[in-house]
Amino acid sequence: MTTTAPMKRRAILAFMLDRPGVLNKIAMLIRRKMYNVETLTVCKTNQPGTSRMTITLREDSDEKMLQVIKQIEKSTEVISARELDMNESFWREVAIVKFEADEDRMESLKRAYRFEILDRRDHELYIVQVAGTSQFIDDFLQDAGTDRIVEVARSGFTAMEK
Amino acid sequence: MKGTELVLKALIDNGVKFIFGYTGGAIMPIFDEMEKQKALSFIMSRHEQGAVFMAQGISRASLSTSNPRTGVCMATSGPGAMNLVTGIADANMDSVPVLAITGQVPTGVIATDAFQESDVVGVMMPLTKQTYMPLTVDEIETTIHEAMYVASTGRGGPVVVDIPKDVQLQETQSVCEFDPRSCEPQLPGFFYSPSVDREALKLAVDMINRSERPIILSGHGVITSNSGQKLQAFAEKAHIPVAFTLHGLSALPVDHPVSLGMVGMHGTVEANRALMNADLIISLGMRFDDRVTGNLNDFARGAKVIHVEIDPSEIDKNVKTSVFLNADVAQVLNLLDRDPALVSKPRSRWFAQVDAYRLEIADQIKKEIDVGIGKEGQLLVKTIVSRLSDLTGGKDLIVGDVGQHQMILARYYNFQTVNSWFTSGGAGTMGCSLPMAIGVKLARPDERVWSVSGDGGFQMNIQELGTIMEHEIDVKIILMNNGYLGMVRQWQTLFYDGRYAGTPMKNPDYSAIAGAYGIPYLKVSSLEQVDDAIQTAADHKGPFMLEFLCDPSEIILPMVPAGGGYKEMIVSVD
Repeated sequence: MTTTAPMKRRAILAFMLDRPGVLNKIAMLIRRKMYNVETLTVCKTNQPGTSRMTITLREDSDEKMLQVIKQIEKSTEVISARELDMNESFWREVAIVKFEADEDRMESLKRAYRFEILDRRDHELYIVQVAGTSQFIDDFLQDAGTDRIVEVARSGFTAMEK
Repeated sequence: MKGTELVLKALIDNGVKFIFGYTGGAIMPIFDEMEKQKALSFIMSRHEQGAVFMAQGISRASLSTSNPRTGVCMATSGPGAMNLVTGIADANMDSVPVLAITGQVPTGVIATDAFQESDVVGVMMPLTKQTYMPLTVDEIETTIHEAMYVASTGRGGPVVVDIPKDVQLQETQSVCEFDPRSCEPQLPGFFYSPSVDREALKLAVDMINRSERPIILSGHGVITSNSGQKLQAFAEKAHIPVAFTLHGLSALPVDHPVSLGMVGMHGTVEANRALMNADLIISLGMRFDDRVTGNLNDFARGAKVIHVEIDPSEIDKNVKTSVFLNADVAQVLNLLDRDPALVSKPRSRWFAQVDAYRLEIADQIKKEIDVGIGKEGQLLVKTIVSRLSDLTGGKDLIVGDVGQHQMILARYYNFQTVNSWFTSGGAGTMGCSLPMAIGVKLARPDERVWSVSGDGGFQMNIQELGTIMEHEIDVKIILMNNGYLGMVRQWQTLFYDGRYAGTPMKNPDYSAIAGAYGIPYLKVSSLEQVDDAIQTAADHKGPFMLEFLCDPSEIILPMVPAGGGYKEMIVSVD
């Protein structure tokens, strides 16, 4: 059996004018150029009329990465786009997890992780909010028990340079 | 003022003279307004695709004049707008500035699948530089100004403004005081600041000085930046042969001693061999299209590449460059030419080599042209084009359609006038020639314009004969009729064992068609008639149509097979 090594996760941070159709345009570009995108998040900035977009993708080739950035930058509305240095930036996401847990498991999770309980039903069905690094959330899901998880909603990344 | 008035005011402020288009329910208010004024001339196409190509003709032909203009077309919502799509995609591929204004159903019914509603912004977005949908009357004027700016700034391209009918009819007090020369739209991300990187330029000059076998690849950017003469001066001074991409042709006289003619799939032997053997490629305003490079793995191995291009996203896209200059070609040529470090090296060995390439199939071609008749006893397109070139002194404006005759025009018309060659390159849209020629003629009324098509392409926009008739547009129409789709037939001959699938066609009586549109017509079936017929058309005041009965077996060589490299170039077929 052959296994292919997972490609390197990388991220692009782009600032753009908050105009209708920009998200559509970037999404279309990603499809057209067949880029391997993992997550895409958009939010407003404190600069009125400007949005920020964080895109994570799996890509080993530096050249292809440069092409993605140049293609994004080419859009009329995009103010700037660049690759984020993974080691020089903070990476966070939020997950909302619906899962079953008994008292003991909940206690042990509480000792190991920081999270917020949003809802509890029938004593053993919880909805919690977990925020942190991707690894932190992966670990939480692992410890919560994959067979006990009913549903997971992850926000995708948002990032900021140091 | 009403939205409709503001649309026209913004266009007039931008120097627009002609509007090509087709009316319908959702654009009627703007057309109604147009009827009340005199500054804009309206030309009705017979199909919306015709209107886009006419607008393209204005943009393409006026680039090199003192008054470059962006062509404008208009269509109604739904099918009207959708009929523009091919022409818009074509403009995008060829970097031609075009503004398309489409009517949209009223905002109240958008997204209800209303009559003649289609998602114009959604469809056009990946095919344009930008798309807009103003949702209030106050946005109309600024949107059109921004659209014109975006279309024509930097690398040109099409822009679509989709205006809902109710927005067209709204009234506003605020009217824009716009001066297109001093007012730039607020687009912080749309950077157009191509300044020449001096360090990179130094590196480039050094590479040029050291090169033994350099070649210049002159692309569309040389034409759009109107720098053919600068290129000629630089090539003469530095002793570098120049090959042209399809859209680079007519930047300088094609028979100039430094010129190698067209490069690429159907390029000249000398251009292709020189490119294959060069140690330095200086590419100016071009994008290394696959019709130019052939198989990328075999392309320019052992050659360094200097790439001058206004669009930074073209850097290293297809071909890895050694030096990249993100700037306007004219700027770079200005600096190169005046650079004291540039050595005027004679490179006589390289030119001797190039001259040997020139002779490789020259006799074979000359013989073919002189005979003028193909295997099936009918006229050769090469011969007709050579005669046209001789009789017009290579000075006329040529609008080629797409296919075999297009490649033959690119190879055998002896272009002498700057920016005198217009055709659909990147998209290869059959049927472009007839409507594009109308735009070209309107943009440059004092020059003679020839629209040359095959029988396939001609019938794709044959309806525009109506436009020519109505406005008596002085376009000389040449129809190369061989009863086949010639280029596909050529591939079938060479690569599909001569099975002519979907290429033969039964043609109508073109003399009756020309007659129906009141266009004088001559049919030419023998070699002796060719010169007289061309001269008659050239001398006639007003439109004229020539139909040449051409030989279906004609082949345009050399040919680099699709997906192949230059070393697989076919130079003769037995």
